[in-house]
Amino acid sequence: MAESPRSSPRSRQLLLRIRRGLFASPLDTLITVVLAVVCGGGLWNLFHWAFLQADWAVVLSNVRLYFNGNFPVSQIWRSWSWLGLLGALCILTLMPSRLLPPVVVRLLPLLWVLILPIGLLLLASGLGLEPVKSRFWGGLQLSLLLTLGTILMSLPLGILMALARRSSLPLLRWLTTGYIELMRGMPLIAVLFFGQLMIPLFLPEGWTLNRVLRAVLSLGFFMAAYMAEDVRGGLQSIPKTQLEAARSLGLSPLLTVALVELPQALRTALPALANQCVASMQNTSLLAYLGLIELLGISRSILANPDYLGRHLEVYIWLALLYWAVCILMTSLARRLERTLKVNGHH
Amino acid sequence: MASSTAPSPQPASGDQPGDPLSAGPELVVRSQGLDKIFPNGFQALTKVDLAVDKGEVVVIMGPSGSGKSTLIRTFNGLETIQGGHLEVLGYHLDADNNQKVVSKIRRHVGMVFQSFNLFPHLSILENVTLAPVWVQKRDRQTVKKDALALLDHVGIREQAHKYPSQLSGGQQQRVAIARALALSPQLMLFDEPTSALDPEKVKEVLETIRALAAEGMTMVVVTHEVGFAREVADRVVFMDEGTIVEEASPQTFFTEPKEERSQLFLSRIL
Repeated sequence: MAESPRSSPRSRQLLLRIRRGLFASPLDTLITVVLAVVCGGGLWNLFHWAFLQADWAVVLSNVRLYFNGNFPVSQIWRSWSWLGLLGALCILTLMPSRLLPPVVVRLLPLLWVLILPIGLLLLASGLGLEPVKSRFWGGLQLSLLLTLGTILMSLPLGILMALARRSSLPLLRWLTTGYIELMRGMPLIAVLFFGQLMIPLFLPEGWTLNRVLRAVLSLGFFMAAYMAEDVRGGLQSIPKTQLEAARSLGLSPLLTVALVELPQALRTALPALANQCVASMQNTSLLAYLGLIELLGISRSILANPDYLGRHLEVYIWLALLYWAVCILMTSLARRLERTLKVNGHH
Repeated sequence: MASSTAPSPQPASGDQPGDPLSAGPELVVRSQGLDKIFPNGFQALTKVDLAVDKGEVVVIMGPSGSGKSTLIRTFNGLETIQGGHLEVLGYHLDADNNQKVVSKIRRHVGMVFQSFNLFPHLSILENVTLAPVWVQKRDRQTVKKDALALLDHVGIREQAHKYPSQLSGGQQQRVAIARALALSPQLMLFDEPTSALDPEKVKEVLETIRALAAEGMTMVVVTHEVGFAREVADRVVFMDEGTIVEEASPQTFFTEPKEERSQLFLSRIL
């Protein structure tokens, strides 16, 4: 192999690196060429289809449906403003905190909890607005509402179950372990069907729960089992000496959990928990099969329109992009949180 | 197993039961016939009798596995006891290990561990203020001021806003001492406080403990530091196989130990 002289310009060094990395031997060269042809061909076909054959009208004329579902047009500002608030909150959270007033930084966690009730108020009625029935909720807005609801329900529940699972009361321990094993042993779609059909049976006479709430409950109960296991892993990673230090300072068992164990356990479990949150988002798409017109549901109903016959590929590529964008957003939020916590006392 | 019951130096006056902390009991710790049996059946302590007076510095020495750490861990209820009787600061504890009594004892007893055991997710200052704020429910601002004064005392005020992982072992151990002192304890327990430190950091920690002793703090220190024991201890207790073998002043213990096992131990470490 030719030695690259120190004085050679950068482009020459780059060329040498390419040569060494991709064309070092005849076999390397062969692999490089074959891969280039296959990938290039694939990309060429994709672009050819996307710009010349595809008809994007199915996406472009239905933007409102994808984002807001069948929300009454006269009230659509409510749906957009909630999506706008959510977007603004994401941007605030992702911004470097030194650019924000400290008050805002401190309020961020609270805002994330409040964004769900605000959304429900804005979308349903409240504030003296005209009531909009939940069957008109749909599209991305409903998917996000379901995701947020699921996370806000399953995370606290998961934490409680993780703690209950190592309780000194055998009955509590067995019950939670049994619950977690049961939930993990069932496919989500079965849990969702159970939720839609069974929850009404458990309610007192005359009570009803709308479908969205039933969906959040089933998703939340399901995800909580997984969250509990992640939190339990975090709890197990805390050395016993930490508990001894807490006890010798006179901290009660409750204070030890709240001030010493959970903060450390949640930090450790954060990557796994973030993973579950992203999964929660993807899981909401199953509700399309239970008649909810969230993102996938509304897309299926658009495809059922004879005007858009056979435009599956366009719609599903668009859907993939949307889901992907939301998940990227969620993972960057999680990474942001991880970094903030790491700055405040890394191990 | 010869349980050499050493007579307590002075049969203290203020050890009436049921009257904790009033009129300042002269006797801080008294264990009588203390037994510790681990759940796996291992007997770590056998009929241990020990008394610690107010203001006294007792150093416990002995080979590893002799029960020294276990003994001082019973003093604040980190280890339960299976037999005998324990009296700490006027609170009485026996084999029922009453948790209410234990939690009362812990409010007045500070402990420093071999591995520091600072809370990694809290800043140095938060480590020190945690217990006063949450256990003693004292006012946050006062606690903060006191904590900074304590950190100043152990020489790490400048690091107050750093996190444990950013400090050296010696600094971490001094924070741990400040954290224990923040509860204004009447007894300090040190469980091999310098064993996990680099040799050059041992001195700074021992200096801190020495200063504390000079202020009249009652302390029980498990350590292998002979120099420290010689200079600071009022009394050296030598343990082996879960029993106290010999109790003597450092002078006597290091120059003319009575028991054969003490002589053997000293011949190995000196």
